Amino acid sequence: MYHIQDVDHYYGEKHVLAIDDISIPEASIVGLIGPNGSGKSTLLKLLGFLEEPTYGSIFFKGQKAAPFSSEVRFKVTLLTQEPYLMRRTVFENIAYGLKIRGDTKDLNKRVEEALALVGLAPENFARRRWSALSGGEAQRVALAARLVLKPEVLLLDEPTASVDADSARLIRDASLKAREEWGTTLVVATHDWQWLFETCDSVRHLLHGRLFRGGLGCAVQGPWKFSREGFLQKELKDGQCLIAPTPEEGKQVAILDPARLRLALPGKVPLLKWNINSLKGYVSRLFLEKNGEIVQTAIKVAELLVAIRLERKQVELLKLFPGREVIILYDSHKIEWL
Amino acid sequence: MDFIQDGFIQAFALLLNRDPATYSAISATLRASGLAMAASLLLGIPLGYLLGYFDFRLKKQIRIIVDTLLSLPTVFIGLVIYALLTRNGPLGEAGLLFTIPGIAIGQVILSLPIIIALTATAVEAADNKLHITLMSLGANRRQIAASTLWEVRLGILAAAVTATGRVLTEVGISLMIGGNIKWHTRTITTAIALETSKGEFGMGIALGLVLLLIALTVNISLAGLRRRI
Repeated sequence: MYHIQDVDHYYGEKHVLAIDDISIPEASIVGLIGPNGSGKSTLLKLLGFLEEPTYGSIFFKGQKAAPFSSEVRFKVTLLTQEPYLMRRTVFENIAYGLKIRGDTKDLNKRVEEALALVGLAPENFARRRWSALSGGEAQRVALAARLVLKPEVLLLDEPTASVDADSARLIRDASLKAREEWGTTLVVATHDWQWLFETCDSVRHLLHGRLFRGGLGCAVQGPWKFSREGFLQKELKDGQCLIAPTPEEGKQVAILDPARLRLALPGKVPLLKWNINSLKGYVSRLFLEKNGEIVQTAIKVAELLVAIRLERKQVELLKLFPGREVIILYDSHKIEWL
Repeated sequence: MDFIQDGFIQAFALLLNRDPATYSAISATLRASGLAMAASLLLGIPLGYLLGYFDFRLKKQIRIIVDTLLSLPTVFIGLVIYALLTRNGPLGEAGLLFTIPGIAIGQVILSLPIIIALTATAVEAADNKLHITLMSLGANRRQIAASTLWEVRLGILAAAVTATGRVLTEVGISLMIGGNIKWHTRTITTAIALETSKGEFGMGIALGLVLLLIALTVNISLAGLRRRI
């Protein structure tokens, strides 16, 4: 569906996104995860053709596309984190997209169906004004305004970040139904693990505008102190230290690659080589991924939260459960910097 | 203080007895301000929209000029327009001096900066998310512009209310360009000035109250419109 090539995007002087090459298959669900300011919303705006990348190209169905181009205008839609409802009734908000397409056949019926899809009773909500809705209801109306268009691509920017659990479930179910019924491609930026690992076909990690294909165990910000020749250390709040090689100038964030981390239980730590360091932490969360084989394991190490993907067998072997003390083993020479 | 009480009684008497001179002044007031507001809205809304919506060179400078024009004294407008419309002036041939359209031209100069400045402010204050929302729903540039204008309609209505109040109540332009000619260009405000100069305070108060009643009717209508849109 999408192919992004050598995209660099700037806001003024600030380099906010740098993506070499990614593809998003048709009818897939792709999750985007990353801290605030990592570039998720910018990437979604580019994918939604709301902005043009400063450099590079975005191909949609094999064709280079740009904002307002006819190839994408009626096919891609974005739901922002805090959606804007026009100062009109709920009905008018939902019907807007269809009206500007000149597609008004069975308008009432289609608007009512869209409302029902997001769990809002048409008889109670269709004639309400935008100002008479709660935050969760407004979010669902905004989603209905997109779903009524039966888009080929639905981009969701933290759709459940500021709504209650019921609204979050309804938003998730309605979005998934779009994929099931119309083959809509979904790209979701979220911190919600259920979205990411239970429903997404693939998850991309973003940090400082860059994508990490293998995932992001943890991004560790400074301040860093001198440890020994060629190494820096980050002192954590519980007194432990994370050791990392001295970075190139300008790089400040150390990246723990989950593929290079190992877990052990206290008292069962194997004999460590000289370059292997350890950190003590506690299992914070276990989440079985969609494929049923991989368990996303979040480990709290002082103020850090380290995410590691483990095979289900490993979890059984280590008898992991939330609250269990574990030891994370890492090679201090192989920590990368961003 | 009796003249205030007399004024109230006289105001209702003038209206209820359909006093011809009063109704002539009401008619002149409504015709001049109606013409002026129609022209101001037709010109001011698009110009205010352009000023608020687009970023261009000299935008800040133009905005400062428009904001400065908000403080134009009505007698100064009257003087300039008089100089233009007088028989020896550059527009003297048009024969607009001492006419209702002549007053309306002066009132356009008065109300246009208000419409432009307040429309531009309303458009600038429109939520940034509106543009993204409209674009993501598939709107083209023209549809985005039209929908944005509709979204800020309450701000534009506020601009219209403010400008209408200013135009209805100004006296300097009507007096200098209209000449306060009875049955012809005498508006309510010029009639008040005249009655007061004659020492007829009661009549002045009565006409003032009539003007307030007109303003009240206009604002009730606009408030009704605001609820409907």
